[in-house]
Amino acid sequence: MNAVRTGITPIAWLIAPSALLFTLFFFLPMGLMAVISLLTGNPVVQPNVDFTTKYYRRILDDTYYFEVIWTTIRIGLLTTLSALLIGYPLAHWMARIRGRTAYAMLMMAVLTPMLTGIVVRTFAWMALLSDKGAINQALIGLGLISKPLPLMYNEFSIVLGLTHIYVPYMVLTLVGVIGRIDERLEHAAQNLGASPLRAFLEVTLPLSLPGILAGSLLVFALAISAYVTPILMGGFQIMTLPMLIYQQISSSFNVGFAAALGMVLLTISLVLVIAYNRILGLVSGQRDLQ
Amino acid sequence: MTTAPLVARLTPRLGRFCYLALNVAVVVFLLAPIAIVFVFALNPTPYIQFPPVGVSLRWFEKFFASRDFMNALWLSLEVAAMTTIAATLFGASAALALARGGLPGSRVITAIMLSPLMLPAILTGLALFQSYVLLDVGRPLWGLVLGHTLVSIPYVVRTTLAVLQNFDTRLEEAACNLGAGPLRTYFEVTLPLTKPGVMAGAVFAFIVSFDQFPVSLFLVSPGRETLPITLFNYLKFDLDGTIGAASVVSILLAVLVVFGLDRTVGLRSYAKL
Repeated sequence: MNAVRTGITPIAWLIAPSALLFTLFFFLPMGLMAVISLLTGNPVVQPNVDFTTKYYRRILDDTYYFEVIWTTIRIGLLTTLSALLIGYPLAHWMARIRGRTAYAMLMMAVLTPMLTGIVVRTFAWMALLSDKGAINQALIGLGLISKPLPLMYNEFSIVLGLTHIYVPYMVLTLVGVIGRIDERLEHAAQNLGASPLRAFLEVTLPLSLPGILAGSLLVFALAISAYVTPILMGGFQIMTLPMLIYQQISSSFNVGFAAALGMVLLTISLVLVIAYNRILGLVSGQRDLQ
Repeated sequence: MTTAPLVARLTPRLGRFCYLALNVAVVVFLLAPIAIVFVFALNPTPYIQFPPVGVSLRWFEKFFASRDFMNALWLSLEVAAMTTIAATLFGASAALALARGGLPGSRVITAIMLSPLMLPAILTGLALFQSYVLLDVGRPLWGLVLGHTLVSIPYVVRTTLAVLQNFDTRLEEAACNLGAGPLRTYFEVTLPLTKPGVMAGAVFAFIVSFDQFPVSLFLVSPGRETLPITLFNYLKFDLDGTIGAASVVSILLAVLVVFGLDRTVGLRSYAKL
């Protein structure tokens, strides 16, 4: 009966190409990055290379780098929170909507911006928020304000731009999870006297926690590695970790220091992924990670 | 369903109204920036101006006449095509192995296969770049495609796994009972049924690659840049309608792809992340 599903079958070999690819071009490079962050130079071209902790000491000794790291995390957290607040209602609506056409329309509304690209959408927000942009010009035209509001070149505009870019990821993750929650559970709660709001808060919301966690993790990971939006919407004023890393490579070719900063970013992400798996294990018991 | 829609019980009108209003606001928030791009792409003035003063196609002309933009567009399409093929082959075969291979520790392997999605993509680019520097191979095109492939594989794995886990395994068992060996079962039953998931994954891979920025940042060679990088460099200094035109072109491309996806494989079950 279960011949297809039990024991290792020949199909298992299909994992081999990917395993090789990931080992050679993902884990090995990441490991190399860790090594480079501890070396004084490039061992291939330089003869006397030594181990050093100077790059990490530089990060630890200068509060500037702490500020950059904290700014990156703060922008990540704010983006995640706003993406969740904006994305959840839409995901709920999509998961519960009846008509196929209505669903397809909403899916288009979610996918179109997602497929539009980061640079294009950052441009769109610049066109909306800049002094000569649509919002300021419209408000001036209506006589509501006399000079443009400072909507751009601050953390608000960065978070706004990033939220717009990553909401679709949140929505797509949540739709799947909310869609799998049996609607009758909510109805049962309402039949037992709970208000719709209470039924939602006490039944659907807790059951969708794995989706909330997965979506939040994804958005946070994407937001802290963003480069385009913080640079353009921050007007080169606000420094984040990816910007700093790229700067170290492009303007000073300081590969070792960039690697050390990369390790910091990697550590932040790994801590989050591990915490996520722990929490998910706690809230969903034996439920599959998928 | 006999019961009334969700919020329509205790505070029927108000609750329902707030719920809908909120959602409409979210959809407007999602689409308004895209709409504004069209306005600026068609507006003839060489700077951002609102309200628009007219309609002109000069920015489209400038975009299509620009050698830099056209070279970048073709390079992006080329890289995306190669990435799609590679990511689909690697991702789909890995997903098959994970779902049907009976591998020990398949959950851990799945997590590893999805990890490029969960770790900052800029690190994938940085780590590969540093390896290429260390090996002194320069910034080859295959290196760029490789980086794109790594971050595209998770999408293919996810969509393919979603289909594999959802379809009726009794079909496979039936084939087995009728005398087909495991391999024949896979090629004649499992593989054809998996196609929609693989296709959806391929489309995602194409789009992820076509729009890829963080990975490309370190891996493109100067003078041979992909479209997002070229647009970004242009945007740093100029804010005219050319970007709008380029944007409209890529939006139309995206809409076309989504429409095609919905028509061929349907979006409801496979557009999962």
